[in-house]
Amino acid sequence: MSTFRQAAATADVAWRSRAADQVLDSRRRRRYRVSTFVMVLVVLVVWSVQVTIIDDTDWERMGSLQSVLAAAGEFLAVDWALFPSLAGPAVETLMIACLGTLLGVVICVPAAWFGALNITPYKPVTYPLARLMMTLSRSIHEIVWALFFVAVVGLGPLAGIFAIAVRSVGFIAKMSAEAIEDIDHGPVEAIRAVGGNGFQVMLYAILPQVLPQVLGVIIFEWEINIRRSAILGLVGAGGLGLVFFRQLNTFNFAGVTAVIIAILALILLGEVLSYFARKAVI
Amino acid sequence: MPILEVRELRARYTSSGPEILKGVSFEVEADDFFAIIGPSGAGKSTLIRCINRLVEPTAGSIHFYGTDVTTLPGRQLRILRRDIGMIFQEFNLINRMSVMDNVLSGRLGYTGNVRTLFRAFPRADIERALELLQRVGLQDHVDKRADELSGGQRQRVGIARALMQGPRLMLLDEPTSALDPKISREVMGLIKTMAEEFGVPCLCNIHDVRLAMEFCNKIIGLQDGVKMFDGPTGEMDQAKLDQIYAMEVL
Repeated sequence: MSTFRQAAATADVAWRSRAADQVLDSRRRRRYRVSTFVMVLVVLVVWSVQVTIIDDTDWERMGSLQSVLAAAGEFLAVDWALFPSLAGPAVETLMIACLGTLLGVVICVPAAWFGALNITPYKPVTYPLARLMMTLSRSIHEIVWALFFVAVVGLGPLAGIFAIAVRSVGFIAKMSAEAIEDIDHGPVEAIRAVGGNGFQVMLYAILPQVLPQVLGVIIFEWEINIRRSAILGLVGAGGLGLVFFRQLNTFNFAGVTAVIIAILALILLGEVLSYFARKAVI
Repeated sequence: MPILEVRELRARYTSSGPEILKGVSFEVEADDFFAIIGPSGAGKSTLIRCINRLVEPTAGSIHFYGTDVTTLPGRQLRILRRDIGMIFQEFNLINRMSVMDNVLSGRLGYTGNVRTLFRAFPRADIERALELLQRVGLQDHVDKRADELSGGQRQRVGIARALMQGPRLMLLDEPTSALDPKISREVMGLIKTMAEEFGVPCLCNIHDVRLAMEFCNKIIGLQDGVKMFDGPTGEMDQAKLDQIYAMEVL
């Protein structure tokens, strides 16, 4: 009896020792893995800092810390005298946003119609077409769209309007199409039952159901479009961005700050207006 | 001479799916108020939706005043639908529009796209809508939005919309299922009175057998897409009802 117990105890000790070895082993291996990973990460960071910052920065032009702070300090001044001449471009920016959104909404009508699975006229063709329009619109940056339209229609606000319109289609059409897919089918059935045609079904049974949601999306997009149109001038598509670009090019940093303040004011105005507009819709 | 003749009507929603209607035939006379009863899933809704082709039948024929409904192309189908009023279980009103606009929507089949866009209905339509609203007891709610009304009131709008078409047949799809028993009786009474007054035959899906026996002069019993009974209300008895609803007991 006691010998059996002794044997059992010995076996226990042996098992414990083996198990401990295993635990320590796996921890060691884990430590190796983590340290290898950290080392690779450090090498990558050092390499990218070397390539992008150390090699590619013009250190001589940057000069001392003092001159860096001095350069930043130049932006603290505000060229108040510039403000009267900003009114025109600010209004232009607002107009680019408004007209661009409006044109975008017009393009959205077929896009949302084709892109809603429940009403798309011919699913194998029109649905992918609409989805392609939406994806294309959203995946290309507004600056890139603006560059494209500047090349096509030339410098000026018209290019900006087109860029804003095309860039807006993706979001508005996608949200509208989803709203259409979620409608209650009952009214559609009712209008068809009285002998209504497709146009009447859309006007009476679909539009009233999605209108509040769609208006909300349009107002939201309009607000974003004010931000977008404020920078489109950087590539020559009109508005405040153009003044910004000009001030920067002439090293009038106080003027740049003035334009930034004007842009901020415009965006704030947009947010206030969109807040009230959205409240009125809902 | 029956105004509606349904012959061997079959319907399925997908080519591989189950057959919902398995060869149903019946006839409706000019002064009939037909009840279609049967357990859930028997095909009652599908049957009446085949008549104005909200659902496309797969086989069989439907003759409405001598015209075969099943073969009509788009525009003629819409002209046919103008003659068939429909009242729905869930009312199917345009919630964000006024009671008046909802009733006027019954005239859309007669209204061009431009008039529709501006909601420019002729004065005669508006006067008729007002008259119907008075008849269904909603003269004080003309400008209210449809979603402000109670269930019973909404179905009254539904009745006015259907009658606004000047229909020659009315399809009623469970018109009282969403209403409480007292309002159900009132609404059925109103439909019956109006149908008699305007001389419109009715075809009414209904699962409340007592309402069916009370208001309808003929009954069709449907079970699993097959007609089990067709005859005057007087000939319906408990044994036949048990047979029609046998599936539910099991």
